[in-house]
Amino acid sequence: MRRIWAIARNTFREAVRNKILYSLLFFAVLLILSAVAVGKLSLHEELRMTRDVGLFGIDVFGVIIAIFVGVNLLYKELDLKTVYTILPKPLYRWEFVLGKWLGMLLTLAVEVGVMGLVLALTLWGQGGAFDAPMGKALWLLYVNVVVVTSIAVFFSAFSSPFLSGFFALGLFVVGRSVPEIAALGEKMGGGAALVVKGLVAVLPNLHLFYPSGSIINAEAVSIHTEFVGAAYMTWTTVYGIGYSLVVLVLAMLVFRKRDFV
Amino acid sequence: MSEVVLRAAELAKTFRLGFLRKKINAVLDVSFEVRRGEIFGFLGPNGAGKTTTLKMLMGLIFPSRGRAEVLGLPVPSLAAKRRLGYLPETPYFYDYLSPEEFLDLVGALSDVPRATRRERANRLIGRVGLDHARGRPLRKFSKGMLQRVGIAQALMGDPELVVLDEPMTGLDPLGRKEIRDLIVELRGEGRTVFYSTHILPDVEMTCDRVAMIFAGRTRQVGPLSELLSARVVSTEVRLAAKDPGSGGRIGPPLPPGATLRETPEGLVIELPAEVDVDAFLQTALGSGARILAVVPRRESLEDFFVRQAQSPGGEKDKEGKAA
Repeated sequence: MRRIWAIARNTFREAVRNKILYSLLFFAVLLILSAVAVGKLSLHEELRMTRDVGLFGIDVFGVIIAIFVGVNLLYKELDLKTVYTILPKPLYRWEFVLGKWLGMLLTLAVEVGVMGLVLALTLWGQGGAFDAPMGKALWLLYVNVVVVTSIAVFFSAFSSPFLSGFFALGLFVVGRSVPEIAALGEKMGGGAALVVKGLVAVLPNLHLFYPSGSIINAEAVSIHTEFVGAAYMTWTTVYGIGYSLVVLVLAMLVFRKRDFV
Repeated sequence: MSEVVLRAAELAKTFRLGFLRKKINAVLDVSFEVRRGEIFGFLGPNGAGKTTTLKMLMGLIFPSRGRAEVLGLPVPSLAAKRRLGYLPETPYFYDYLSPEEFLDLVGALSDVPRATRRERANRLIGRVGLDHARGRPLRKFSKGMLQRVGIAQALMGDPELVVLDEPMTGLDPLGRKEIRDLIVELRGEGRTVFYSTHILPDVEMTCDRVAMIFAGRTRQVGPLSELLSARVVSTEVRLAAKDPGSGGRIGPPLPPGATLRETPEGLVIELPAEVDVDAFLQTALGSGARILAVVPRRESLEDFFVRQAQSPGGEKDKEGKAA
């Protein structure tokens, strides 16, 4: 555990000292604050606009940061050849990948936390509150970035950052559209429906992490009303972490067999 | 015979490159044994397969054939890695860390307890002469300083075997001397040192035994004293005029195969091994010369290395390696 924690701590430290992440965070904060300006254009709906635009900003920048960090996580070690110094130490390769992943989870938690804090302060400044639905939504967005970044790490175990980023972004877009794809499959019927069903089972259902505006169990879910219950939160979290772990194990298997020439 | 610390047995590595999976035989057959307490040099020209061999020993590359052991433990294994410290060819470290932070990380990866880590890192930083830069980020370090950090990190786990890949390459003469001295010190502490290089004078100064690799195969393994011929390969004779003011010509007629060079002090004559040196010196004295020096020259490691490289199969055979 000491070795895994050492890698995780170093990964977090690297992120903290990376100026590019600060730039991304700056733009995220800017987008959240812009919600105030957008709210002024609405008719007495300032708080509603801040909640919607703020969460949208956290979602978009969270995913951008997740992909950026994820695709570089292993590739940078290979490109800068630091792996030549680290892997000959008494450390399993899977421990290295797990340590890097945990460090990244910590980094993303701080990033999403900072964005959430800015949103909370903005709401408070407008006389509103960062209530339970907002807290739940923020947690789901965090699990969402964990899934996306794990996918990015998997691709980066065997391809370039550009390709890994492209694939991860593609899967994010497809993953958010899983309900639509499933509905399309049901309409198609026959063998095609089976293929789509299989595909939907394998694809990451990222729509689960951004449920506001959807119908769940015949009830409309909204960030401005009840939002989702504890059962949904638990199940979705287990699904997200489970999916991430499966993808991570695949990345470990790829990494285990690699020659570091 | 002392204990074998590192053993490579018939190691080979074939890479498959490109869309057509073309075979590249980087290492064909490498075998050697490194014994406890010795400094072992792994020599070879650029591209001979030294770094690929070291990467196989460190578990960075999986051999296509053969096996390696560290103190009887299979490579790669966690147990084997615990017993060794490794410096890669060019120092690649996390450049946002300071030496203190980096050594702490390396110590944690080697399962060194926190208190010991701190004490050992401090001691090693002092030992490699980086006390003045202990808190500075590594990106601000020169190549020589990074090499010293590299040696320190290789020692953080207190290893019995220290493996260094080209530790002197790219260093200035002072830096090279420092690393050489450090290698000898490590042997003095009872550690075994294995290092690859193509800088032959360093090997002559430090190594107890060597292995030579040409075109992916080890060809000579043994103590330097056994590999290098004890016989005299040539004799250098330095002559000057008995009476410098005479202006007369000095020196006897040159024997066949001898070479002559004029210097401000007089003549330098290189006599081949088959020439009778005593008879030549008698003739020289008779011709009005004064003998300044007579230096018999034995085979150097460089002579031996060149001889091996030029013998059949010695030179890097591109067709043979890229089968």
